[in-house]
Amino acid sequence: MINPAPAAAAPLVALRHVYQTYKKDNHLLRVLQDINLEIHPNEILCLVGESGCGKTTTGKIIAGLLTHTEGEVLFKGRPPASYTGARERADLRRTLQIVHQDPFASLNPAHTIGQILSYPLQRHGMVSGRAALRRRIWELLTLVDLTPPGDVVNKYPHQLSGGQRQRVSIARALTVQPGLIVADEAVSMVDVSIRIGILKMLHRLREELRLAIVFITHDLALAKYFAWEGRIAVMYLGRIVEIGPTPQVIGQPAHPYTRALLAAVPEADPDLTRHKQQIPLRSEDIPALAAIPPGCAFHPRCPFHVPGLCDASLPPLAVPAGFQQQAACLPLHQPEGLRRYGT
Amino acid sequence: MIGFATIATVPGLLIGMVCGLIPLGIALYYRQLRPGLLGWLACAFSGFACGFLGGVPMIVLTTAVVISYAYVNKQDPFTSRAALAEVNFEETRLELLLRLLAGLGNSVRAGLVALLRNKAGFIGFLGVLFFFLMSVFGPLLIPYDGRPHPDRRLPESRTLFQAPSAQFPLGLDWQGRDILSHVVHGGQGLILTAGLAGVLTTIIAVVLGALAALLGGVVDQVFSAFSNFILTIPQFPLLLVLASVLTFESNVALALLFALLSWPTLMRAVRAQVLSLRERDYVEAAIALDLGLWHITLREVLPNMISYIVVNMIFSIRVAMYSIVGLVFLGMVPLREPDWGVMIFVGRQQGALSNSISVWMVLAPVLAIALFQLSLVMFTRSLEEVFNPRLRSGL
Repeated sequence: MINPAPAAAAPLVALRHVYQTYKKDNHLLRVLQDINLEIHPNEILCLVGESGCGKTTTGKIIAGLLTHTEGEVLFKGRPPASYTGARERADLRRTLQIVHQDPFASLNPAHTIGQILSYPLQRHGMVSGRAALRRRIWELLTLVDLTPPGDVVNKYPHQLSGGQRQRVSIARALTVQPGLIVADEAVSMVDVSIRIGILKMLHRLREELRLAIVFITHDLALAKYFAWEGRIAVMYLGRIVEIGPTPQVIGQPAHPYTRALLAAVPEADPDLTRHKQQIPLRSEDIPALAAIPPGCAFHPRCPFHVPGLCDASLPPLAVPAGFQQQAACLPLHQPEGLRRYGT
Repeated sequence: MIGFATIATVPGLLIGMVCGLIPLGIALYYRQLRPGLLGWLACAFSGFACGFLGGVPMIVLTTAVVISYAYVNKQDPFTSRAALAEVNFEETRLELLLRLLAGLGNSVRAGLVALLRNKAGFIGFLGVLFFFLMSVFGPLLIPYDGRPHPDRRLPESRTLFQAPSAQFPLGLDWQGRDILSHVVHGGQGLILTAGLAGVLTTIIAVVLGALAALLGGVVDQVFSAFSNFILTIPQFPLLLVLASVLTFESNVALALLFALLSWPTLMRAVRAQVLSLRERDYVEAAIALDLGLWHITLREVLPNMISYIVVNMIFSIRVAMYSIVGLVFLGMVPLREPDWGVMIFVGRQQGALSNSISVWMVLAPVLAIALFQLSLVMFTRSLEEVFNPRLRSGL
């Protein structure tokens, strides 16, 4: 395996046993632990979790914008170090794009929308000639539903609304014809009424341009809506605790943390919310990254934890009996796991 | 003396008037009389002040402004409300030139509007403009009175020192010379030297600060250590010592020396700014788009620092001015009349600190320096708005 030829089905990005740690005041902050993920072309993967669980870090590692401390990250089946040629590296770099959470910070306030889109187009020779450049900018703006494009092309970012800026941000990522877009909380700072429109547009772009989308969110309801045809990975304190196809994870959640998250999702119908079964957590506090509890990191908060089992050893990420998704929960993997939950 | 070619000349006026015909003609073609006339006036005026060098940039700017006025009525296909299929993106060279000039003109107009919007800033701008015009055009109206005039002694006064009167609005000095003419002629050298010192300081600080922040590592440590080293030396005493050892034949050398001693403060600020700006999301997006270090430095980071840099440049100019006046006041640099600093120096020698009759010799230059400094400080308010697209948004 000195020079493995990338197989046809090689995932766009593969994370194998990836760890990310920071040293801070003699503490070791374990931001990511043992992350295993594969993202295939044209796939939707949703990373869900509370703030601080490492989902943004994972997203940046997937986008190749952050180096991990341990483990292996493969791009199209090959480690980044094997991309030696300048052209090859540039191609890889452009394959992976990111759309940031804050549309007010992700667009340079000093440039007009037309300029923002023209820089990557010109730099990488995506178009030749002024007329083609202007036509391409119009096409991109039309693609992200900013019509008529003439209205926004000469405006500065601060003259646009949050939703419009987020569309510009997406158009900018599309300038280099990427294969994967990491959408980091891409709609969380956009007005609720605009969100669905942007999500629908992302869906359409995924189909038209055959994009893979890594959608990072803290909102399970959004994840359910957006990633119904894809997969959801639930993260807790730097680990993936549950991963599988969205209908299964949402419809039949395995891990107690996922169940708690789902129970906390407010429904539009107040009656439904009132009668929804609440899962009381044992503690509201999220442990600090510097002091991650031993065993299952969730056990101090878990309503179903088994003393002597959950706090003793690490739960493996495996498919429990009766489920189709992987979950990292020791009681679930016991023979009587399902009965204990009453599911 | 720095080559001050900005003294008004008649040939310059002619050049300016001829140059101004270009924007005027274009304006008449587009039926925009008012901006055309203003453009012609601006060209003539700047040609008058700076000759050919002032005339040429003015033609470009005013032509651009005029064309941008014309473009307000003419819809650019690129910014029309038409859909993608209806727009023709091809354009000729001339159309491109017109569009670019219109863009430049819009920026100039937006800048002027921003300049006018802030009241304090506009007053400061007027003050700076006043001192600039006084130094450039004043000499045309008020000839330099350099020779002693014992004959100006009035019968009732006991000395040549004279309080302001209708004939001599700022009074007469110890040799009976007109103080007003010294104020008018004495600003050029000081303002230019201070300006050059401020510009040089800013250039050194921005280049070193940006390099330190972007390259990091050893470069950062060396530059930072060096700036700390210079910061620990009290600046003015060192300047004093150096000025007494070296003889400054030219003001350029003085400006350079000042710049070499005063860059560290601004350099540290620039470094901190670059360090903060390069963590922004849009820089990360530029990295993901593989736009390159040059693009990120010049296009993503620098434009967001321009207002900060310009404002700090103004402040360096102010500090340089005070330092130079201080050096002159202490007699550490060769004294050349006319100069505001030399006026204070001579005034002190003639007993202005203790004797009330010679106070007019000092009061006029001190007021001139103080007012110029105040104008600069107030001017920075407007400059912030001019260079910040967020504040400039109007047009």
